[in-house]
Amino acid sequence: MRAYTPKDDVQAKAYYTDRFYVAPQVPKQDVSTDPVFAADLEAISAKFEVKESFIQVENMVIYINAKDIYAVLEFMRDSLEYTQLTEMSAIDWLAKDDTFEIFYQMLSMNKRKRTRIKFFIKNGDAVDSVEKLFRCADWSEREMFDMFGIEANNHPFMKRILMPYDWQGNPLLKTYPLEGDEFAAWYEIDKIYGKEAREAIGPEIRDTARVDRYDSERFARLGYEQPKGTKITGNEEPTVQSYQEEGGVFMVTKFDKDTSKIIDDPQR
Amino acid sequence: MAQIKNRLTPFFENITFDRDDNELVLNFGPQHPSAHGQLRLMLHLQQEQIVKAHPDVGYLHRGMEKMAENMIYNEFMPTTDRMDYIASSSNNYGFALAVEKLIGLEVPRRAKVIRMMLLEINRLMSHLFWLATTALDIGAMTVFLFAFREREYLMDIIEGYCGARLTHAAIRIGGVPLDIQDDFLHQLRTFLNKLPDNIKDYEDLLDSNRIWLMRMEEVGTISKEMALSWGCTGPMLRASGFQWDIRKEEPYELYDEVEFNVPYSDKGDNYARYRVYMQEMRETAKILYQTIAMYEACVKNDQTELMAHAPKYISAPKLDIMTQNYSLMQHFVLVTQGMRPPVGEVYVATESPKGELGFFINSQGGPYPYRLKLRAPSFWHTGILTDLLPGHYIPDVVSIIGTTNIVFGEVDR
Amino acid sequence: MAQHKVNYTQDGGLPVALTSIDKIVNWGRSNSIWALTYGLACCGIEMMASGASRFDFDRYGTIFRASPRQADVMIVAGTLTKKHAEFIKRLYDQMTEPRWVISMGSCANTGGMFNTYATVQGCDRIIPVDLYLPGCAPRPETLQYGVMLLQKKIRANSASKAQKPKRLM
Repeated sequence: MRAYTPKDDVQAKAYYTDRFYVAPQVPKQDVSTDPVFAADLEAISAKFEVKESFIQVENMVIYINAKDIYAVLEFMRDSLEYTQLTEMSAIDWLAKDDTFEIFYQMLSMNKRKRTRIKFFIKNGDAVDSVEKLFRCADWSEREMFDMFGIEANNHPFMKRILMPYDWQGNPLLKTYPLEGDEFAAWYEIDKIYGKEAREAIGPEIRDTARVDRYDSERFARLGYEQPKGTKITGNEEPTVQSYQEEGGVFMVTKFDKDTSKIIDDPQR
Repeated sequence: MAQIKNRLTPFFENITFDRDDNELVLNFGPQHPSAHGQLRLMLHLQQEQIVKAHPDVGYLHRGMEKMAENMIYNEFMPTTDRMDYIASSSNNYGFALAVEKLIGLEVPRRAKVIRMMLLEINRLMSHLFWLATTALDIGAMTVFLFAFREREYLMDIIEGYCGARLTHAAIRIGGVPLDIQDDFLHQLRTFLNKLPDNIKDYEDLLDSNRIWLMRMEEVGTISKEMALSWGCTGPMLRASGFQWDIRKEEPYELYDEVEFNVPYSDKGDNYARYRVYMQEMRETAKILYQTIAMYEACVKNDQTELMAHAPKYISAPKLDIMTQNYSLMQHFVLVTQGMRPPVGEVYVATESPKGELGFFINSQGGPYPYRLKLRAPSFWHTGILTDLLPGHYIPDVVSIIGTTNIVFGEVDR
Repeated sequence: MAQHKVNYTQDGGLPVALTSIDKIVNWGRSNSIWALTYGLACCGIEMMASGASRFDFDRYGTIFRASPRQADVMIVAGTLTKKHAEFIKRLYDQMTEPRWVISMGSCANTGGMFNTYATVQGCDRIIPVDLYLPGCAPRPETLQYGVMLLQKKIRANSASKAQKPKRLM
């Protein structure tokens, strides 16, 4: 019987985990330990519902409701001096509870503080675009759409950005294998030569341990490489790869090591 | 069997010939010699003026974030090299720092000094490369040859340290693998002593060059609001009037111990960015001189540790692995299974030569990151072309792409 | 009439060489391999370095051209992604015969370390390749050696007959 592999998460897994292993946690501090963050959190929680908040590795993390995101970012930009949206993307939790976690990494250049706004959305839901607030979200949201299939409402140009427009599948989903699916494997062949060329060109070779019958051995000893399967005795003939023919080349002077000058001081 | 004909249609789909708005759609790239990689631009033109620009990226998307999810942390280190391949060590460092913050690791001082040296050498390499290619695009072939000459010296130094010219993988999580070689400091000093003259050479060639000024001044002006809104960082932001350098504002490593200025300009045009880059090279040289002194102090104080001591996450030194049973076991587990950082999230930003290089790691306690997001500055520096190019003329496109300093390994990841 | 300063009778004799069409054509072809600037990724930087001051590609007669219509050799320097695959075929088709392809670096050879959904596993799935250069990224010396090997390959071909188009499969 074949071993069961879960289909909802096909990424690499640890092949062995101790039965009693309990993963430690990255320490979380309370927001009140930092006065700047505490003031920011107070201002946000006065207007919006804050589900959870803590400080982790010098970043304040705030969980909010998905519907508030535009208003929260607008409030942070206009009132709390958060000048830049550095990064935004999603985390795939589909295998766990069919949700995506979206994070917005904000930077306040005046306060020198970084805050991460997060929320969860159900699979299939869309987020509100913040492209009107921060133009950089234009591309980030497109990237998120490309990689996870999460659409953004009110986005001016909701199309793939990194993958081709006619691509199928969302590569960063946990259900998408690293080496691609059937569509990815034949994408370029289908597009350039057509499906009927598949047989002639053959499948992709993705096995990194594959050895071709024409391969040679002993790469470590340059100039003494041997065909595969040769019994190595230690005193093989050198396999010389010369860049010029034996008898010299028509109208090209042969390089002579003795008459050429070698500069050995690189810092001359 | 005869050669199979391809089924690619003639490449006219970009151009609609029967337009009534007098607009021409010009396709630029994805393989254009002055696109600095694989940038494709769809330019809508009225006469020679651009009215709409649509950058298309992704031609170098290699799935690095996906790879990270399927690799143990140490395994991913060489992959980060290929992000910003002009300055590999800065990516190595950004990733190493993110993981170190995640597991709460303190790196020995000597390793910090070596890392800073590598980072700043990489910054110099990157800026020299930027100067070379931008000057080449604008037509200054001499500067290209000059700047590449200097870059080769730096590459020799780096090669002596880690054995590679381009893809260094010179920084490990928890420190650096090796001490610097014997003649490293000597070579570096020789290079730095010559550098001011070299920079002066470039500036003599370019600063008041009429062609250079016409291509650079008042071209590609990025306003303050635009720079913030598009998430510009690094020299792009500094040229637009913000004196913001992560090395200064949120110091990592030993940047709070070194003396350096953050050059900035209010103009925001191509020329301002060029000036910022040139000034930054001088500041980098200043930092490098100070790191040499710091390294010598480390040698004097007999601080020989190069890797942090954290048996749960970092392998012991080779000598211990070869002599002590427990270290060998630990090493074996760390290599075959990988380290397991604690459950949590971290976002760490470092100042790479291009701007803010951020690594967001979500760890679920396993040997593979659950989610790793690479925040590459060039991605948004490419995006800004959407708003920056309209209003400019066709020849300005090349000089604007040049001064944004985008590297496509980083844009597309 | 001007006095010739060069002594033609010395060292090699008169400036007249007798040879076959094959040799003279191949001499021309192999010593002026114009390369297409096809830097795709990291290897493209090393390709630029080999064109720059230290490694100086011009002495091989290798001059980088920006247009495939003027190029003889396409140096595929870097990762070929699935999104880009279409364009390498287009550019290859635009090059005039005779044309050669050097696949530079592991990514172009086999996909290299990028064993992912987005990478073409070797550019020889799209276009016929003459020479594979190993390395990640190959040093400029490797590229120089590669060009010299390509010159040897060109010289070995018969130039007088029309070359058969290379086949991918």
